[in-house]
Amino acid sequence: MSYSDKVIDHYNNPRNVGSMDKSSNDVGTGLVGAPECGDVMKLQIKVNRETNVIEDAKFKTFGCGSAIASSSLATEWVKGKTVDEALAIKNMDIVKELSLPPVKIHCSVLAEDAIRAAIGDWKKKQGVHTPVAAEAK
Amino acid sequence: MTLARSKCEETEVTTKSPLTEIRSKPLPADTHTCWSCGSMRAAHFCDSCGKVQPPVPVDYFTFFGLPPKLKIDVPALEKSFYELSRKLHPDLNARAGSQEQEWSMEQSSLLNDAYRTLKDPIKRTAYLLHSEGVELEEQSKSATEQARATGEAKKQIVPPDLLEEVFELNMQLEELRMNKKAGEDDPSLAKEISGHKVTLEAKHDALLQELQKYWTDWDSLIERNHGSKAPAEERANITAKMVDVLNRRNYIRNLLRDVNAALES
Repeated sequence: MSYSDKVIDHYNNPRNVGSMDKSSNDVGTGLVGAPECGDVMKLQIKVNRETNVIEDAKFKTFGCGSAIASSSLATEWVKGKTVDEALAIKNMDIVKELSLPPVKIHCSVLAEDAIRAAIGDWKKKQGVHTPVAAEAK
Repeated sequence: MTLARSKCEETEVTTKSPLTEIRSKPLPADTHTCWSCGSMRAAHFCDSCGKVQPPVPVDYFTFFGLPPKLKIDVPALEKSFYELSRKLHPDLNARAGSQEQEWSMEQSSLLNDAYRTLKDPIKRTAYLLHSEGVELEEQSKSATEQARATGEAKKQIVPPDLLEEVFELNMQLEELRMNKKAGEDDPSLAKEISGHKVTLEAKHDALLQELQKYWTDWDSLIERNHGSKAPAEERANITAKMVDVLNRRNYIRNLLRDVNAALES
């Protein structure tokens, strides 16, 4: 199997690698894993409280090239979006953008899971307990 | 069988075993007639004339004449493998007709796959789960779909504290690798990671023991329902527990592999 150019680009130059203060009230953290391959992915977002816009995003992924590329792309995409817009990102969007082969689809699922987990964590901190993705359908 | 009979005459010289007397005892349901000599045959080759038979699509357990149980006598399996190899190997059937050679090739490759899968405890379990219709990827996908629909964060398949542990240890491993790359030694970090290695190995062993507990559950379920299929619900109860162990083991196995690589590099 060979990686697409876009995957290689993200793998060689991952965007937004790093971490943010987990305890900050404006930061949402999502830690997810893919049991099929044993990969782990941490994605964090910093949200503007007034506008609900994601101002910054960081990730750290231990896994294959596709998992790294998927999470790198996810951080690029969520930045500048509102939380609700970010929830509309589907794994298949990532699959298309990165031309992931079928065996690597679960990497994109992991990235989508990470976005939702990070937003879920942030919402929890804001004291919001209502479902967050009804709009994302 | 008429066509086969004529072939039998052609290749008669290569037939090693003499015709044995026709068995009078009742034959098992999966016994067929040999294409070559017309005698009743065992699954893989003819008991009478020794010729390789066309492969029948069977599961790996059935291939070895075993019930679908997880506790396997591995030395006996190995013995059975070598015995069958000797009879099915294409090299030993090189002088047979082209059709028989092809069957010999197919049977041998089936034999190798079946043996490799069944002798390994993890592969054997995964194989059983697969034949029980458990798809690990599907499980994760449906959890994601459920999360989408309800708007809740996805229910993680492994416990969060395990993910946390995996993540933290990976961070340390990265640090160790980077230090080594820069030519800096950090004995205290290496020592700490060596300590983790011991813990991980113990965890890995504990998971295997847990898995064997579910093997016992599975095997006794099969025994209780001798021959007929056990109720779906009971089967699913046990397979779900095995899936859970395999999922957690995947992380531990990867960590161990990475820890060993980082310490050795």
